[in-house]
Amino acid sequence: MRMHQQLRYLLVLVLVCGSVALAANQWTVQPKESKLTFVATQQGAEFTGTFERFTADIKFDPQDLAGSHFDVKVETASATTRDNDRDETLKSDDFFAVKQYPTGHYVTSQFTAKGGNKFTATGKLTVRNVTRDVPLEFTFENKNGSAWLKGSAQLKRLDFGVGQGEWQDTEQVGNEVKINFVLLLKP
Amino acid sequence: MQLKNTLTRYGALAQLFHWVIVVLIITQFVLALRAEGLSPIKKIGVLGTHKSIGITILVLAVLRLAWRLFNPVPPQPRGIPRWQELAAHVSHFLLYALLFITPMLGWLMSSARAFSVSWFGLVQLPDLIEPNRATFERLKDWHEAMAFTLAAIAVLHLAAALKHHFFDRDDVLRRMLPVPERGPHS
Repeated sequence: MRMHQQLRYLLVLVLVCGSVALAANQWTVQPKESKLTFVATQQGAEFTGTFERFTADIKFDPQDLAGSHFDVKVETASATTRDNDRDETLKSDDFFAVKQYPTGHYVTSQFTAKGGNKFTATGKLTVRNVTRDVPLEFTFENKNGSAWLKGSAQLKRLDFGVGQGEWQDTEQVGNEVKINFVLLLKP
Repeated sequence: MQLKNTLTRYGALAQLFHWVIVVLIITQFVLALRAEGLSPIKKIGVLGTHKSIGITILVLAVLRLAWRLFNPVPPQPRGIPRWQELAAHVSHFLLYALLFITPMLGWLMSSARAFSVSWFGLVQLPDLIEPNRATFERLKDWHEAMAFTLAAIAVLHLAAALKHHFFDRDDVLRRMLPVPERGPHS
């Protein structure tokens, strides 16, 4: 009987601590308010694209950066740039090759506080089966229980083979691509 | 040659505007027609240059018109028939109008496809309208129609200048060239 009671205490303790730890960290992305976009250049003119479909597993706590973690999966075929021809080109084998590589994947490895609500993260992005280090800069604003996660990353499309053959020409299609994200998070 | 127009001839600046725009418009046709058969990326490059030159023409047209407002052009030679004088005025007016309309339609059509205009990669111009494929197709038709109208009027304009030069043997063409006038009785 004493043994049982002790075990029960232990179980309750584990559950409470576990759920508190999870509750502090685990967020759910609100798809309607959240956006994942990119800015690329064509003949020196910027254009913006949007990834319409992505999932983001966000564990984040400014007080517990070691326990924080982002895992983002992006459906490459969901990129839209407000022009059909350009969208089809992006889906083609020369760019995202969406049939072979339907998903882009980003996983963080480490977070650093930069003062205030600013943070940076190191992480690895995999696109077209090529994995490269891509750092993030972001802000985290916690308001009334929900939070805004806003930030950006800078990468070079050719590092991932996005742009094959003559599309490797960076004079017409710039190599630099900026990724922007705005996520509304709820517990 | 002096900078400003005189009563008998165009000044250096007016001539410069005229001939630079002539060269740029010919370049525009070459680029636009060449772009048709190119691979997508080469097409982006050629059309990018076409857009940059188009904006250049638009800016030059504004400057040229401003210069013209403050610096009256030499009058038509005396004794030409009334209808020819009128035809010259109408064609000059249309040429000026098309120098504005054609690049504006180009800018609009780029906006309609979310392919923003950049001036030689240095300045990005704002999009004028929301992207819409049907609007784009219509604007493209108009852009091309206006370009060919411009070319047709320019050919008439050239024919008239050559007629003056070789048949009437007057100074109408010479006064737009950095060469001396023929003098009153040559």
